[in-house]
Amino acid sequence: MSPDLQHLISGLTQGSPAEASPRDALHQLASVLAQRPIPVGRMMRSRTICSAQSRIALTYLAYWLRHGYAGDVGEKERCLNETHLSAALELFSTMSYLRGAFMKVGQLLTNYPNVLPVQFIDTLKALHFEAPPMHFSLLREFVHDELGKDPTDIFETFETKAFAAASLGQVHRARLKSGQMVAIKIQYPNVGRTIREDSKNLMTILSPMRFTDDWENLKRQVEDLCQTLETETDYCEEAARLQRVGRLFEGDDRVIVPRFYPEFSTRRVLTMDYLDGAHLDEFLTTDPPAALRHFYGELIYRISHRMLYTGRVVYADPHPGNYLFHNDGRLGLLDFGCCRDLTTEEWDYFCQVHGAPGSQEHHLKALKRSMEVSDSRPVSPQHIFHVEEFCRWFREPRQFNGDFDFGDEKYLGHGFNLVTDGVRRGYVRSKPVNTWLLRDLFGICALAFRLGARFNAKAIFEEESSASPAY
Amino acid sequence: MRITAQAKVEARERIVVSALRLFASNGFSRTTTREIAEAAGVASGTIFNYFPTKESLAMAVIGGALEDGERNFLRRRRGDEELAEDLFAHVLEGLRKLKPHRRYAGEVLEKAMSPFTSPELTDDGGRVRSAHLKTVSQVLAWHGISPTVVVFVSHLYWTLYLGVLAFWVNDSSKKQEDTLVVLDQSMRLFAAALAEDE
Repeated sequence: MSPDLQHLISGLTQGSPAEASPRDALHQLASVLAQRPIPVGRMMRSRTICSAQSRIALTYLAYWLRHGYAGDVGEKERCLNETHLSAALELFSTMSYLRGAFMKVGQLLTNYPNVLPVQFIDTLKALHFEAPPMHFSLLREFVHDELGKDPTDIFETFETKAFAAASLGQVHRARLKSGQMVAIKIQYPNVGRTIREDSKNLMTILSPMRFTDDWENLKRQVEDLCQTLETETDYCEEAARLQRVGRLFEGDDRVIVPRFYPEFSTRRVLTMDYLDGAHLDEFLTTDPPAALRHFYGELIYRISHRMLYTGRVVYADPHPGNYLFHNDGRLGLLDFGCCRDLTTEEWDYFCQVHGAPGSQEHHLKALKRSMEVSDSRPVSPQHIFHVEEFCRWFREPRQFNGDFDFGDEKYLGHGFNLVTDGVRRGYVRSKPVNTWLLRDLFGICALAFRLGARFNAKAIFEEESSASPAY
Repeated sequence: MRITAQAKVEARERIVVSALRLFASNGFSRTTTREIAEAAGVASGTIFNYFPTKESLAMAVIGGALEDGERNFLRRRRGDEELAEDLFAHVLEGLRKLKPHRRYAGEVLEKAMSPFTSPELTDDGGRVRSAHLKTVSQVLAWHGISPTVVVFVSHLYWTLYLGVLAFWVNDSSKKQEDTLVVLDQSMRLFAAALAEDE
């Protein structure tokens, strides 16, 4: 195991000597993943890149799992729990398709350049765009099964090589018989069903575990993750979201949301307008002027807020691969698979917790609601202080008068430190929806940081939240 | 009365078509040669003038489907495929043609193509095997695999292919999608192993 990975694991998994078994399981798992052979072919190289990503994400996940395994349970239950935990970790290690989900955690970490060693960043950055490809013969057969004909019979032209990777498949360019250029996202066969079955198995393994109340909350978060993964395998849901988001930006020339074509789409094949443009890295190499960087940072911030406050959709995957930059100031949006539609209860919670702070009592109630604890249950002052610190950090840009400097690494770094500090202290109890809100928030801040953007976040927040019918 | 060559060809054709229909609807074991003869409009014993056994008749049908698959594969090749894709496409074209016979193919293939089958039943299976491996050797040669390696890996490949066939026969997933995955992964691993060896 590399010294850097070892350091990372040691730093994260500090705990009492009595909790040796889960720590051993974590080390064992990381060691197994680290011992993959040196890649010699393209297929092996892809797997190892994904494994590096998986190692890091599994480290965090296993730490969260382990931290829920705590304190005051009897010896018999402890032994039982160890068995379940080991089984859960083992199952995670076999869920290689989850590299897509773990990629998303890694993508989040990638955008915080000061957090991880540079070599991890370079490896993780590649994961935005790479995945083992389907060759055309497999794809042709699959599309034939899904759409009733070979793709070369359906479309005027169809490129046999994918031009982009998706987390569960890949994307091809084609031209309709009408002349329109389209992008066709095609899922790898059987992934959806495998994810559903593995999710069920995972919850079956975790369900009997008896821990503190915090563990019940963690299990709900894992359940939430599994459910989201399953949702991502349904392109019909993504298509519906694409249409809803498109309506949010109708008439706004700056934002391009691709149209989707239902006659050429199914649950596992999604056909939509092909958008050109440059991804963030490519855009930044053109050395764009500061004004354009500020403009895009502001636009990305506004898009996220409009989707949330008007559309009640959390764009939980705001990584560089999902935006296409044009030098004329237009921004294309891609990939609405990893979004979270807020339920009525979650929206109500969001308004309560993230709205204007009221009395101290109201504030404490809102905090407890965000941690999913009853009003009567005591919460340590340190924990409350930590959450309040985070809320202060979160509100800072929208309370700042004038242009807030998102390019200031101290701001982003402070936010990330608060989150990792919270994880280290075991403050992992949270409503599952907070994970998605956090990903959206950090993703947007990280993009704005990369752009070195400065803009009036307060004005955008006030405009977009006041336009919301129910906020 | 002497039967013309043309009449023989037509009779054989009727027997094959009738067998195909009855195997598909009733299964291989439940279909008798008497029923096939009756459906084809020939005397019971006439079938054995053309096919020594019921299995041989079934293999003629299946063998014909696989030959169609071979021809389709060669016709549809683009020329820019990598080895794993070529191997995948070759098997897949055979499975596509074999699909109408999936219900009874397992029973027949087990008798005719199993390595443990007795010699008098392997002629038909032997022909199918030879034709398939001939195409595989051609594919390997296109991708620069040396002839000596081809001779060795053909045995290995045949075992892999039979495994995929067996999986497909028993695949209850919708449109046998699981077989696509198994076939894809199998051929990738096989091709990768060859690439490392070269």
